Amino acid sequence: MAVPPPGRTEITLAMKNQATHSPQPEDAERPPAQKGAQESMEKIRRLKAKASRGLFALALFIAVSIGAVQNFEFLPTFSPHIRAVLGTPPSANMISAALMLYSFSAIILILSRMMSGSGSYSGFSHVGYLTAFFAFYHFSGALDENFWAVFAAGITVLGLESYHIWTFCTEEIKKEQENLAAPARNRGSGEGAGE
Amino acid sequence: MLRSLTARAIVPVAVAVTGFVIVCCILLYSVMKSDMINDAVSYEVNLADTIIKSTRYAMLKSDRETVSNIIDNIGSQDGIEHVRIFNKKGLIMFSQQHDEINRYVDKKTAGCIGCHAGTVPNATIRDMERARRFVNKRGTEVIAITAPIYNEPACYTASCHFHNSGQKILGTLDIGLSAAPLLKTLSVMRGRMMVFSIMVLILSVGGVAALLRRHVFVPLREIKAFTAKVNRGNLSPELSGISGELTDLAGDVRAMASRLRNAVEELEKLRGCREEAKEKAGVNANSV
Repeated sequence: MAVPPPGRTEITLAMKNQATHSPQPEDAERPPAQKGAQESMEKIRRLKAKASRGLFALALFIAVSIGAVQNFEFLPTFSPHIRAVLGTPPSANMISAALMLYSFSAIILILSRMMSGSGSYSGFSHVGYLTAFFAFYHFSGALDENFWAVFAAGITVLGLESYHIWTFCTEEIKKEQENLAAPARNRGSGEGAGE
Repeated sequence: MLRSLTARAIVPVAVAVTGFVIVCCILLYSVMKSDMINDAVSYEVNLADTIIKSTRYAMLKSDRETVSNIIDNIGSQDGIEHVRIFNKKGLIMFSQQHDEINRYVDKKTAGCIGCHAGTVPNATIRDMERARRFVNKRGTEVIAITAPIYNEPACYTASCHFHNSGQKILGTLDIGLSAAPLLKTLSVMRGRMMVFSIMVLILSVGGVAALLRRHVFVPLREIKAFTAKVNRGNLSPELSGISGELTDLAGDVRAMASRLRNAVEELEKLRGCREEAKEKAGVNANSV
C-alpha cells in the first residue's frame, strides 16, 4: 500500500527549500507561492504517515493474536483472589453475540465513512476492542474455540480501515501534487502565450 | 493497485461481506458445537441416572452378579466406550472391562479432580462440571460423565449393608460414550456451512458486481468511448441505450457533441462563404 511518489521537479525543489531554509524571519520574506508549496509538501508528508497507520494497526493486532493463540501464557496468571474480585466471566454465547454486533456495526461505520469521504481513522481503537474480546474469551475459557472468529473480525475491520485510510490519503496526496504542479503549469502556459 | 472503478467499488463490499460471513459462520459453528456437546452430556446424565436406578434394587439386595450383568450388557452397546462403578475409595467394583475390576482409579484424572481438588471432596457438582473429554487408549475421543451414587435411607437401614447414615456418597458410576458420531455430525455441519457461506458470498458479491456493471460501468465505458471519438474528431458517433442516473450525463455529453458539430458545420459554412466571396472578388478583379 505505497502511496504514489511525487515525482515532480517542483516537489523536489520545494523539498530543497524546506531543508535549507531556516525558520520564522525568512518565512515572512518568502513569496506566497513558495509558502503554499511548502505547506503542500508538509501536508503530503503528514498524509503519507497517516496512510501507513493502517499497517501499524494490523501489525499490532497480529502481535496480539499471536499472544492469544498461545493463550496469553507469557502474561502472569491472576491469583484466585483477583479472579474472585473480577467476578464470574460472561458466558461464551454472550461474548459471541457482542462480537457479532461489534463486527456488524464497525463494518457499517467504516463503509459509511468511505461513502462520506471522511478521513478519520479509528484502527487503534479497534485493536483495543478486539484485544478485549480476546481477554473476555480467555477468562471465560472459550478462547480456543472462538479465536478464529475474533481474528477474522479483526482482519476484516482493520483491513477495511486500512483500505479506507489508504485510498483517502492517496487521493488527498494526488490533489496536493496537482496543487503543487498547477503554478508551474500556469507559468509554462503563460510563457508560451508570451512567446 | 485498485485504480479501476470496478475494483474500488467491489473490493470493500467483497471484504466486508466475506469477513462478516466468516465471523458469523465461525461463531455459529462454535455455538452449535457447544450446544451439541451440552446435549450429549445431558443424554449421558440421563443414561447414568437410568443405570443407577436399574441397578438400585440389585445393590440393595447386594446381588453383585446382577449388577455385573447389567453393566456388561450396557457396556456391550455400540458407542459406549466404558461403564464402571467404583466405591468411595476409588476401587473399581464393576466394569464392562473385567481386567480393571479391583483396581483403583486415579483421583487426579480429569473426571475425578473436579470433586477431589480439595482436601474434602465436593459432594455436589453441576452436570457440565462432571463431564470430561479425552482420547482413550484405543484412540477414540470420549465424552465421559461421572454420576455419584448417593446414600439413601433404604441403604443404611438395610440389614445386609454396613453403610452408616453419615456417609453421603456410596460410590460413583463412570460412563463414557464415543464422540465419533458427534464429530461426524459436526464435520458434516461444517462442510454445509462452508458451502452455504461460499454460495452467499458468490451471490452477494457477484450480484453487486453484476448490477454495478450493468448500471454504472458499461454506460460509463460507452460515454468514455463516445467522448474519445469526439475528441479524435469524429463528431457524429452514436450514444444510446443508457438508462438510470447516467442518462442525464449521457444527454449532456451528447448535447455538447451536437453543439460542437453545429459549431464546426457553421464554421465550415462560413469558411465556404468566405472562399466563395474570395473567388467572386477574384473573378471581378480579372474582369475589370
